[in-house]
Amino acid sequence: MDAVIGKLSALACCAALALGASPGKVFPYAYTQEDLPNGLRLVVVPTGFPNIVATYIVVQAGSRNEVEPGHTGFAHLFEHLMFKGTEKFPQAKYTNALQVMGAASNAYTTADYTCYYTVVSKQDLPTVMEMEADRFQNLKVSQPEFKTESLAVLGEYNKNSSNPMVKLDEVVNQTAFERSTYRHTTMGFLKDIQDMPNQYDYALQFFDRYYRPEYTTILVVGDVKAAAVRALATRFWGSWKRGSYKAEIPQEGSQTEPRTAQVEWPTPTLPAVDIAYKGPAYTDTAKDTAALEALAFLAFSPISDLYQRLVVTEQKAAALYASAPEQVDPALFEIVVRPQRAADLDYVRDQVYEAVKTFREKPVDPTLLDTVRKHLRYGLEIQMQSSDAIAGILARYVALRRTPETLNRLYDQLSALTPEDIRAAADRYLTDDNRTTVTLVGAKPQPATAEAK
Amino acid sequence: MKLLVALLAAASAFAQIRLLSNFAKAPLVTFRIVFTTGAAADPPGKPGLAALTAHLLSDGGTRTLTYRQVEDALFPMAGSVAVQVDKEMTAFSGVTHVDNLAAYFKLLRARLVEPGFREEDFTRVKENLINAIRSSLRNNDEELAKEVLYENIFHGTPYGDYNLGTVESLEKLTLDDVKSFYQSQYSQTNLFLAIAGGYPAGFPEQMKKDFRSLPEGAGFRPRSKLAPMINVSRVVIVEKPTRSAAISIGFPMITTRNVADYPALLVANSYLGQHRVSYGLLYQQMREARGLNYGDYSYIEYFPNGGQRMEPPPNLARHQQIFQIWVRPVEPQNAHFAVRMAMYELDKLIREGIPQDGFERARDFVSRYVNFLTRTENARLGYSIDSIWYGIGPYAEMLHNALPKVTREDVNAAIRRNLRTNRLVITVVANHAEDLKRQLASDEPSPITYNSPKPESVTKEDKAIEKWPLHLKAEDITIVPADKVP
Repeated sequence: MDAVIGKLSALACCAALALGASPGKVFPYAYTQEDLPNGLRLVVVPTGFPNIVATYIVVQAGSRNEVEPGHTGFAHLFEHLMFKGTEKFPQAKYTNALQVMGAASNAYTTADYTCYYTVVSKQDLPTVMEMEADRFQNLKVSQPEFKTESLAVLGEYNKNSSNPMVKLDEVVNQTAFERSTYRHTTMGFLKDIQDMPNQYDYALQFFDRYYRPEYTTILVVGDVKAAAVRALATRFWGSWKRGSYKAEIPQEGSQTEPRTAQVEWPTPTLPAVDIAYKGPAYTDTAKDTAALEALAFLAFSPISDLYQRLVVTEQKAAALYASAPEQVDPALFEIVVRPQRAADLDYVRDQVYEAVKTFREKPVDPTLLDTVRKHLRYGLEIQMQSSDAIAGILARYVALRRTPETLNRLYDQLSALTPEDIRAAADRYLTDDNRTTVTLVGAKPQPATAEAK
Repeated sequence: MKLLVALLAAASAFAQIRLLSNFAKAPLVTFRIVFTTGAAADPPGKPGLAALTAHLLSDGGTRTLTYRQVEDALFPMAGSVAVQVDKEMTAFSGVTHVDNLAAYFKLLRARLVEPGFREEDFTRVKENLINAIRSSLRNNDEELAKEVLYENIFHGTPYGDYNLGTVESLEKLTLDDVKSFYQSQYSQTNLFLAIAGGYPAGFPEQMKKDFRSLPEGAGFRPRSKLAPMINVSRVVIVEKPTRSAAISIGFPMITTRNVADYPALLVANSYLGQHRVSYGLLYQQMREARGLNYGDYSYIEYFPNGGQRMEPPPNLARHQQIFQIWVRPVEPQNAHFAVRMAMYELDKLIREGIPQDGFERARDFVSRYVNFLTRTENARLGYSIDSIWYGIGPYAEMLHNALPKVTREDVNAAIRRNLRTNRLVITVVANHAEDLKRQLASDEPSPITYNSPKPESVTKEDKAIEKWPLHLKAEDITIVPADKVP
């Protein structure tokens, strides 16, 4: 277990560890972190921004946890169901209470976690803590409500479905993975979404398994004092029962040859190639995650030679970007390039392959690596413009390792990277056998006419 | 944290650059630089010119530095220059750590005051905007429905084109067009400079001096012109292969922030359809009670890209707004019912008024949510600029003063004065447009079926909704292929 965790009990409530912001650490705020006896973790971050308090509740269950076939999309469905109310706070009462607070309140689901947030003025924090604790422990969803809500999820699928990049993402995951639950997107497969109305019991089981204190971290960020928040947590969340379920998440086997697929889109669209390599699971005790994060910028951002050639000089591509995996299980390092014309698909794809080969062979310029480090550090600081923005950043890292320290550790790894580390990571993960390439092509545009109205 | 608005003395020989500064002990410095020009100033036949000009500034090289050199210099600071172009305003914004303030500001200023206007930047940026229409907008059914609605309502006025223009017009625009637009519109009199955060003493005044190389006066500006009268409701169906039907409904409205009805109407709209939260009536009735779709909201101000953002961006001030209902994509067989249901709820609100409890909650919400909307330096600067443009006091303060005095009767009167269910435009992005056209024109009943039992209150209302008369005629329903808009 993590060394910085304090245990909280009603008698010994001073065991929480207060962590001062240390010079050199990327997360600039002092915070406290402690565990209730039931395993619920509480992180409190006073930010100095006045009045507003952001409560972000992170449950370490996302689409990754959907292990049974036919039940993709349930973490996300459950996020919707969490707004259905309890005996004490039926849906209308819960919604009305948030409304009069002027609350910004919503939730989102990712592959690894589900996050519920409520942003209010500081005097409303006790009510928020009470209502949130109540729904996490006493949620009540009737079967008709469940069925209706499953249609809102289908509506969400529908509104995403006009975007060809969403389809591309679906096909990349489905092609790259065979056993990993990252094979399906967080929305889930359409056939599973359409079958959701029939899966009431499974949804209740999902709640019973994962909506437990040991899977949950509460982040309270803003105009707050740790002691007062701790008292609220003990009062409202203290009696929540610990669970016992541990998911057996299937692990992906190794890939032995390159894979390809194609998406044909029924309307005109800018083409795209998504080149995805199987990367590592998130780590901040080794260099792999940090090295791939830096590589994404060195090789494919606007400072890279490839970007300058394809996007700026030749203008054959409209966009080029890459994203490194920061997920619980091994996930994809993805490079996306969007050629202006479908005829250039092979050319831009081969240019990416060529660049990957170069980065596998040659260590990068240390000055450029330093530039990327600065970019990431300042980029993070620039995002921290409000308490809710800070909470949103922390939620991602708390979902991985249940502590804001995760962020500091990742940036410590970034600071320690050498050019050889980048080359080694590229050589280890960005291999041909480890690669999935999916292309997107649209219908041919009709010739433009003068009549546009 | 009172925002300081310093206007140069009128007696000075200089044009008035409006400077807003808000010092705060913070590691970041936020810039918001707004020119009071935009798509409404596009010359006839050249829609998209304001957008192309602004994007070429924010995403191009400068007189002395190539695009790559600027990007290379911005990269280590994680710096960028964001741009938003609307009808009356073009807003550039950026944030920097105070460590990099001087270097960042130098690049920001050079991009706006000493643009490079290189041919290779021009072709790249122009291609990006064409792709944004052809590939992004036309593959986002909800945004497409909204923008077609706006185009249709304001057709023939300076607000009548999509902000990025059309594919055809963009293809014809030249670098000389851009240079001439820049020369005439990017002037000191059109300029708001706003800065907030941990800048050193004297920085804002220096910044003002640094923008003095812009021309002083404003060039040609078209007179604002009211949207044409809608005599009879009409429908535009944008046809494309798609799973579902995306719907927007609206009409032009003269109430803007500087009109007395605004605070009351804001309360009414929050009750009916507050954006992306579960409090609104449309959301409660259409999504929560019936599972029609992912969400249903209403608006009294332009709100682009609502699918991507939770809060309205500032600096979209306009002389005229529209009232709009956004029905997120529904299953095609429910499109007719969904249009009727939106109209039914609007009609009920107009006829019966806002209920007392709904009024109180919505008023509470609006008066407190404004604190959330203005919580960042960037938002505070943006809202302040808008307030000056509208000639009203600081936005949050204005609402905090006005809302306690707003009564339920005021809200109902504002609803009656501003909202209506006839003489409006409905846009739908859908497949099988002819079928939908036939259904809408026939006014035949459109019963809905559910996958679970519904309370009597719902089924009883459904009986009224499925027959709610839309009074649409076939000749007022147009079908347009998606690749012809905008």
